[in-house]
Amino acid sequence: MPHPQSSWPFERPEQLADALREQGASPEECADLLPAVRRLSEWQAPQPEPADTRRLLAHLTPELPAPSPVRQAIREHRQHRVAFLLATARAQVSLFGLGFWLVSALITLIGVGAVVVLRNVVPDQALVLQALVLRISGPLLAFLGTIVAFRGRGARVLELELVCLPSPLQLAIARLVIVLGYDVGLSLALSLLLWAGGSSQVLALTLSWFTPLLLVAGLALLLSLRLSIQVAASLAYGSWLALLTISTISNLQSLLLAPALLVLPGCIGLAGLSIGLLCLHADMHRLLPHP
Amino acid sequence: MQERSDEQLMAAVMAGDQVALAALVTRHHAPLLGYLYRLAGGDRQLSEDLVQETLLHVLRQHTYQFDRPFKPWLYMIATNLARDYFKSAAVRQRWREGDSEEALLHLYDNEPSPEERALVAEQGSEVRAALAQLGEEYRVVVVLRFYQGFSLQEIAETLQIPLGTVKSRLSVGVHRLRTVLAPVQKGVD
Repeated sequence: MPHPQSSWPFERPEQLADALREQGASPEECADLLPAVRRLSEWQAPQPEPADTRRLLAHLTPELPAPSPVRQAIREHRQHRVAFLLATARAQVSLFGLGFWLVSALITLIGVGAVVVLRNVVPDQALVLQALVLRISGPLLAFLGTIVAFRGRGARVLELELVCLPSPLQLAIARLVIVLGYDVGLSLALSLLLWAGGSSQVLALTLSWFTPLLLVAGLALLLSLRLSIQVAASLAYGSWLALLTISTISNLQSLLLAPALLVLPGCIGLAGLSIGLLCLHADMHRLLPHP
Repeated sequence: MQERSDEQLMAAVMAGDQVALAALVTRHHAPLLGYLYRLAGGDRQLSEDLVQETLLHVLRQHTYQFDRPFKPWLYMIATNLARDYFKSAAVRQRWREGDSEEALLHLYDNEPSPEERALVAEQGSEVRAALAQLGEEYRVVVVLRFYQGFSLQEIAETLQIPLGTVKSRLSVGVHRLRTVLAPVQKGVD
């Protein structure tokens, strides 16, 4: 049975000449080559019948990838990754409980109150003491936040998290976004209060509070890879307090807590958080209950 | 409604969309069959098998990157499969034994014998024989350019060779075709 023939892609003769020119042929060469190239159209290829295409499709259809509904849902969500992360964070807010928000705010208020009182009571040593108070109260927020944000891991809800649409890593990031976002908010509020109170060292005091917070949070997350979250957070905060005590009662304060090095704990803390999150993902199997 | 691009259809196919698969296959079946038919020297059955194998590779390999143009990728798979087929020991052996007259047309870079010329009496067979005499690398670019209507850039992407190489191969291929087809051309005129 004869098959229908394929069409020649060059509808007009000039198109063929243009094609030859485009590949570098001179006008004389074009004139010489055109008759031979034009003859190519003499050899037509068969066109498939609709039945041929249907038969081909019947062979191909069983090979179609068949992603599970869960995988499809994940793929759709990945197209809106930022919105998805924010939605996950919003859903996680309900897990924190009112107590966390109130205690965190209270710690901040106490810190601010102490700073204001110290400025009026001991004006000559105000800055050093204010910084000390903030270096104690700031990391306390990190201690509290880490325990609350990751208590789920200790509470054996990992199995539940693993079957949820967001991965455990996404949940961990979402919780960190919440805790750190809230702490940043408090930090900004603190700065505003100090600025409104007439403090001349707003930036230094804010950094005194916020960078140790990052350090303790990062350290706690790193330690939680091998220890329970309560022990890890306590150890991180305890280490910070020990460092603070040693530097205060010795002459190391000017070295360890020099204004020029205020940003250093924050950088270390951010590095710790990043490494902790990456390792948390790879280390997840350790947290599964053993049979 | 605006027609979906090959790349959009391929993305849907990778998500298991049957309608997208039907659209993609309907769009490319005839051109791909034509391409492989000419690479296979006019063997309809072999070209149909190669079309099916090409599309199975498309579905099974999962190597398609969605930021790449689909058509050159599809033809790259088809070209590689055709090359692999003709390189296989069994095929080469069959050709050497000469169990088919068609096989003579597959032998590259050989001058056609008077007997072969007699065989190519039907319309287009002269062209088929002329293409069969080209080296494989020249035949592929000529077929892509003049039968499939590919741009030079698309040929370069399909064969993963520089644009300059595409031009030089086309130039050599077309000049060789002219040498083979010119005597007939003079006769016609």
